[in-house]
Amino acid sequence: MFIILVYDVNEKRVNKVLKTCRKYLNWVQNSVLEGDISDANLKKLKIELSHIINKKEDSVIFYLLRTTKYSKREIMGLEKGGENMFI
Amino acid sequence: MKKSIYIFSDGELHRKDNTLFFEGENGRKFIPVENTSEIMIFGEVSLNKRFLEFISQSEIILHFFNYYGYYVGSYYPREHLNSGYMILKQAEHYNDDNKRLYLAQKFIEGAYKNIRQVLKYYQNRDKDLEDIIYCIEKLGELINGTLSVNELMAIEGNIREYYYKSFDVILNNRDFEFDVRSKRPPKNSLNTLISFGNSLMYTTVLSEIYKTHLAPRIGYLHSTNFRRFSLNLDIAEIFKPIIIDRVIFSVVSKNMIKKDDFDDNAEGLILKERGKKIFIEEYVSKLTTTIKHRTIGNNVSYRRLIRLELYKLEKHLMEEQGYEPFLAQW
Repeated sequence: MFIILVYDVNEKRVNKVLKTCRKYLNWVQNSVLEGDISDANLKKLKIELSHIINKKEDSVIFYLLRTTKYSKREIMGLEKGGENMFI
Repeated sequence: MKKSIYIFSDGELHRKDNTLFFEGENGRKFIPVENTSEIMIFGEVSLNKRFLEFISQSEIILHFFNYYGYYVGSYYPREHLNSGYMILKQAEHYNDDNKRLYLAQKFIEGAYKNIRQVLKYYQNRDKDLEDIIYCIEKLGELINGTLSVNELMAIEGNIREYYYKSFDVILNNRDFEFDVRSKRPPKNSLNTLISFGNSLMYTTVLSEIYKTHLAPRIGYLHSTNFRRFSLNLDIAEIFKPIIIDRVIFSVVSKNMIKKDDFDDNAEGLILKERGKKIFIEEYVSKLTTTIKHRTIGNNVSYRRLIRLELYKLEKHLMEEQGYEPFLAQW
């Protein structure tokens, strides 16, 4: 499964959320990450995030795509991050 | 499916924020640990013990390649699936000559039938391969009658000799003529591609073995020795024709890799970085291609097929179900 994760959390917790997400997904730009993830790992990620965020103040959105076949990614301006199998 | 990362740039690998971090000349990048199964290192990379500890904990395997693209070795972390039982079973099948020969024959049978399948595919596309297929089939009939692993290896060698001759017919490209198989270092471009592809295949199979209970040091066709892993070489035989050779055919016939992607220094030919990247890209897309599996009835990727092959071998060793090699149907 491919997911796009966006978050808007209180400054105090931004770093923690970012660090957690980077274990599972590729950073794309500020507050946005994306990548392939298994069902089990998505569950793990959700649990980890739910321990960090404050549900009354913060918001994390997951866009779940079963496949990326019918989607296209276009960039305007800089490409800041994303997935690359070559480094 | 967890992914493989290929590092070509020079730099440092760290453990940072409980994930992997690469810092190099072209910038810095985090690599998601939870989504990485192996890291192939081609560049000059430094790393520390803390990083290796973390890698072991995350069950990620590191494969190193030298400047020429040859496999150097792997950081094979502490095995997480320890099974004394499986080692004993593997050794039992190695020490008993009949049992060992049976498995070796099955591996060669798989390799032979997949080679034949690749050739048939091109024959259907009007390539004149009839004589070669005839010779290979004649040799293939001898596999089950062999009395020793050495005899079997000799037949396999002959099959490959005929098989490699067919490359010239299939590719029909003057820049990629086969001539003879040469290794360490490969003397022409086609040999370079074969060697590079095979070493990628060996490491992929090794990474898959790491995820099973099997001990990679005990092989059946390739004899066990003091130096290297051999089970991955056995299993790779089956998949080389349908994965590596098909990747070679597609990168050459689509003109993706050209004559000037090779560098001739040090007596042989080596693939330049651009060529390596193109080859790997094709290889990875091949590994992730899914096919409908006949018995499972589900779509499985080629990479998964390799793992299933290992599970079948485990079942055979435990005497639950006889091992039959994977045969491509297309």
